[in-house]
Amino acid sequence: MVEVIEVRSVSKTYQQPKRFPGVLGALKSLVTPEYTEVKAVADVSFGIRKGEAVGYLGPNGAGKSTMIKMMTGILVPTSGSVSVLGCTPHERRMEIARRIGVVFGQRSQLWWDLPVADSFELHRRIYDIPAARYADNLRRFAELLELEPFLDRAVRQLSLGQRMRAEIVMALLHDPQILFLDEPTIGLDVVAKDAVRRFLAEVNRERGITIILTTHDLQDIETICPRLIMVDHARLVFDGELGRLRSALGSARRLTLEFTTDPGPLPLTTAVLTADDGLLKHYRIERDDVSLVDVLTEVGPGREIKDIALEEPNIEEVIRTFYQRRNTAVPA
Amino acid sequence: MRQLRIALRLVLMQIRSQMEYRGAFWIDRIAQIITYSSSLAVIWLLVDRFTELAGWRWPDLLLLYSFHVLGYATGAAISFTQMRDLEERVRLGTFDSLLTKPISPWLYIVFSGFNIGYAGHILLGIALMVWALWIAPVDWSLLTIAYFIASLLSAAMVTAAFLTMIGLTALIWVRSNHLYSIFFGFWELTRYPLDIFPVGIQGVMLTIVPLAFTSSVPVAVVLGKQVPLLGDWAPALALLAGPFFVLLAVLCWREAVNRYQGAGG
Repeated sequence: MVEVIEVRSVSKTYQQPKRFPGVLGALKSLVTPEYTEVKAVADVSFGIRKGEAVGYLGPNGAGKSTMIKMMTGILVPTSGSVSVLGCTPHERRMEIARRIGVVFGQRSQLWWDLPVADSFELHRRIYDIPAARYADNLRRFAELLELEPFLDRAVRQLSLGQRMRAEIVMALLHDPQILFLDEPTIGLDVVAKDAVRRFLAEVNRERGITIILTTHDLQDIETICPRLIMVDHARLVFDGELGRLRSALGSARRLTLEFTTDPGPLPLTTAVLTADDGLLKHYRIERDDVSLVDVLTEVGPGREIKDIALEEPNIEEVIRTFYQRRNTAVPA
Repeated sequence: MRQLRIALRLVLMQIRSQMEYRGAFWIDRIAQIITYSSSLAVIWLLVDRFTELAGWRWPDLLLLYSFHVLGYATGAAISFTQMRDLEERVRLGTFDSLLTKPISPWLYIVFSGFNIGYAGHILLGIALMVWALWIAPVDWSLLTIAYFIASLLSAAMVTAAFLTMIGLTALIWVRSNHLYSIFFGFWELTRYPLDIFPVGIQGVMLTIVPLAFTSSVPVAVVLGKQVPLLGDWAPALALLAGPFFVLLAVLCWREAVNRYQGAGG
């Protein structure tokens, strides 16, 4: 299989002017500006093959968007090399632009005051899409994502979910070989998220479009991306199958038990007691094969439980757990 | 050709977007007419009182004013609001999206932000200019007509180039709008002949903020008046200023896009 994206030892450092307090400080930073260097991406390497779907994951400020911007030609890497479809993106920006699609979840590319169809038509002209292919793509994608009912409505009248569906369809109208999505499901409700995920998984499978998406939402990865690249503090910390990560980490769920009367210290073998507030006891269930029933059985029938809360680990937590353990558990 | 068709489409889409807010559009036009009428009235009052300003009489000053309005409006129509809003585009990250399209970001920004409000300025400028040309003591020949039109284009180019260079600083410093107030401070002075200002200000308006080339230098040439500091160089410099600053703006734009770091995140 051909590698469509090759990232080799890429770093990106932002220069941020230092700010000093007060009027004199403002003057100082104007006359003798000093810069602090902020490393957003540090020595990251990976390759992505044609037709893959890859989730690019990490906490806020880990350098996800910066990497997407370097792969799409918006930013120039400070060092290292990025190759997309055989070209260096920032050097051949126009050429790359015709062959990729880009969706930014938090910034719309649609014309706010005009019907969705007008933005699509402009897109057709900018990308020089032949009329027949454009009509065919529009019909098929619009059907899959149910856009027809609102194609003629002004973008400002659409819900966030409708708008995001339109953004994604627009990014696909010119048959891109690679689709980059930066937080495509951010802010969407459950139904809209599901529609977007199923659609992306389908275009990846049916059309062989390579997908790279950044997200905070583990569910996005589960539905769309078999492969996961994780970054933290600018560095790559994991690259592999989601299943591998999960089995390596187990699923450290958090359990909170509220008793009607304080049972005293209550250490268990099925879960680790992490905090004890008397009536409220907090546990961590570290082993995958331990169920809630196992824990409750161990607690025993003699103690009256008022409430139970079981929390699945969120992505930030998975990354944190992973980061803490990565030296011993998983080779990065 | 393709670029031109896209530019035209962007302009039409922008006009349709603006027409979604017709009320605001017309209120804006009325405000504009009042603003311009009052600044012209100030000049009229000054001349009524003192007969002339540094040797410039009412017909001369009217020609200067109409040139100032027309040259500015033509240049600003393809630069001002677009470049002022570039700061916002950078902050919101929509400039990033533009860089992922197979189109020049400059072309997209300029034409998708085309401000039909300037049609009002331009009509006003033309009307005032017709009036001024009727009464101004110009010795017209084919050469002066050609010179007059060329220097008007040069004035528009200086305006567009300067407004663009100010706006593009947002690509590097994220913020740019405070610099516009400096520009407009000097711009207001270009309604008056350069002769009335102290030498220091004359120097600034011919070099660092060369807005004298957008009005009093070319108009003085056409009226056969002496231009302070420039002397015999004035006619040629007034024509060269436009292409020179446009070239400078193009180079700055390229450099800024290459150095662009985004708003962070």
